[in-house]
Amino acid sequence: MLELVGLSRRFGDVVALDDVSFSVAEGEIVGFVGPNGAGKTTAMRIVLGVLASDRGEVRWRGRTVDFQTRRRFGYMPEERGLYPKMKVLDQLVYLARLHGLDRDTARRQGERTVELLGVAERARDRTETLSLGNQQRVQLAAALVHRPDALVLDEPFGGLDPVGVDVLSGVLRGQAESGVPVVFSSHQLELVERLCDSIVLIHRGRVVAAGGIDQLRASDSRRLVRIEVGAPNGLWLDRLPGVRVVERFPNGGVVELDDGVREGDVLDGARSAGEIRHFSVVRRTLSEIFREVVGS
Amino acid sequence: MSAPRATKRVWAIVARREFVERGRDRGFLISTAITLLVLVGVIVATSVLGGGETRYKLGAVDDARQVAERSVQTAQLLDVDVELVTTSDDAAAVAAVRDGRLDAAVIGGAEIVVRSEPPTELVGIVRAVSQRMRTEEALRGTGLTDDQIRGALDQAPLGIRALEPVDDRRRENSAVAFVGVLALYGQLFAYGYWVAAGVVEEKSSRVVEVLLATVRPSQLLRGKILGIGVLGLLQLLLIGVVGLIAAQTVGSLDFPSGAIATIGIVLVWFVFGFFFYAGLFAVAGSIVPRQEDLQSTMTPLTLLIVGSFLIGLNAIGNPSSTLATVASLLPPSAPLVMPSRIVLGETSLLGALLSVAITVGATVALVPLATRIYSAAVLRPGRVRIRQALRASRG
Repeated sequence: MLELVGLSRRFGDVVALDDVSFSVAEGEIVGFVGPNGAGKTTAMRIVLGVLASDRGEVRWRGRTVDFQTRRRFGYMPEERGLYPKMKVLDQLVYLARLHGLDRDTARRQGERTVELLGVAERARDRTETLSLGNQQRVQLAAALVHRPDALVLDEPFGGLDPVGVDVLSGVLRGQAESGVPVVFSSHQLELVERLCDSIVLIHRGRVVAAGGIDQLRASDSRRLVRIEVGAPNGLWLDRLPGVRVVERFPNGGVVELDDGVREGDVLDGARSAGEIRHFSVVRRTLSEIFREVVGS
Repeated sequence: MSAPRATKRVWAIVARREFVERGRDRGFLISTAITLLVLVGVIVATSVLGGGETRYKLGAVDDARQVAERSVQTAQLLDVDVELVTTSDDAAAVAAVRDGRLDAAVIGGAEIVVRSEPPTELVGIVRAVSQRMRTEEALRGTGLTDDQIRGALDQAPLGIRALEPVDDRRRENSAVAFVGVLALYGQLFAYGYWVAAGVVEEKSSRVVEVLLATVRPSQLLRGKILGIGVLGLLQLLLIGVVGLIAAQTVGSLDFPSGAIATIGIVLVWFVFGFFFYAGLFAVAGSIVPRQEDLQSTMTPLTLLIVGSFLIGLNAIGNPSSTLATVASLLPPSAPLVMPSRIVLGETSLLGALLSVAITVGATVALVPLATRIYSAAVLRPGRVRIRQALRASRG
């Protein structure tokens, strides 16, 4: 388990992190979300030891991390960095060796990793000749090449096309399945929702919400239903019993159910207005939760 | 997952990358090839143009043959190389002198023709010979025998006692020391620049953040300096060996042992000088965001090296001057001044060791400071002030 315990950090008068704590279990994927400047990058840099914290500590399997444990982490920094003139495979082998792999293992791992990320055919090209999307894959390969004990990725999906996103999602799932704790930051909240076992929402340097997506949803007790019918818009929506209209569409809208009202009652009411085209229980998206928390 | 045992020290892995990546860089290979070509070219050219003895061509028409032939014999005794060229008539001889095929011609038995400035050595010999032949002729007219004439004329001239005799060995050593100081200057500057440029490359490409999540800044810096330094040392050795072979082949070295010793001394001082300067170059690189900004932070270092180089050149002519003595002991200039003083035999072993001790001591004191500034500056974006970096490294 990777734990961040009470991390605080100031830059001059600016408080970047204020008592940030959360943990990532083995095999768990944690999404680290929050608006720009919330402190995500600062926290990740502290985990990797690139930056020092003013207070708090980072623990790995219950012990304060030191240089040797950090060497076994995989890291993808927010500002991507590779040697532009070095060949892709050489670069990965070099990084693997810095992480402590011997020469043969490093080479084998380098070849496996370019394969895994779909850049094997560019392995012998200089990195600067690759497209940005492919460089991004190489950057991720750099974080994975030494078979890390834990993965910390800052905006790994930024700049990837949908195929790249799928490849990367698959790789992260694979890593988690093999027992590696994975934490990554992202602004692509739908992706986070789909991929992550739990989510940490940080705002102005403080953790404001944390847990599984269902847990986060549970913080809102409202029940919402979305209904569309094949009739021209009328007053039927307002005439439904026991609901309050939250949002209107041309053929329907979203309504909030009063206590004691069942979804079935609403469906029956809507049938009388016309043919049902759409009926669903609305689950709040991470984006909505995000906006609520950050907006307040 | 258990951590595989690190089979090698981290700085050695870093050093290896620096060595391999720079060593196979096309620009590096081309510049090395050019350096070697220029070096061999200069050695061959000096030997062909000025290094070897001059060979004079003296023209003579039949009736002046006697004078010309005796001039050639006399020249041989004096170790001057003169080739006799027979011409068909005076006009042909004059024409040959005019267009430079002959250095001088004796015509009409009475004149030496030269194009413009007379070649002193050749003309002196021909005039002395012609004068002697005429004197002999005149004496023969008085009835003296040839033996009597020779006995009277063969008198030894005054001997020469030079107060400061030319020391060929020292002269050659000065020349070799000059080449050595030049090579040291070029090498210190080029490889120091590479350290700075390598640091900026990592900072501007942000790869340094990936590296420093795995490697300590001191390990990264040490590996970088070692890798680049070893490459510089090997290149210098290659230049020295190729230069030595070329000079030996064309025969411009009378004392090869002096040249070999000089190469050794230059290599050793490259090591001391490079390690002294490398940390400073790394700092110069770590405080700027881009390659283009490097020039400004490197200027103080450039001035230091160029100044030391000039003192080093001056020291070849005046190796025992106060300036040379002092500069050869102090670190910024010692690597460029001490070698020539050693080569010219102007310093005691103790003096040389003292200079080494001071330079190494200064390096040992400087490296931790440079590492501190580097570590604090290289992760900070943009231009960093040294004082700012020092403060950050303390906190």
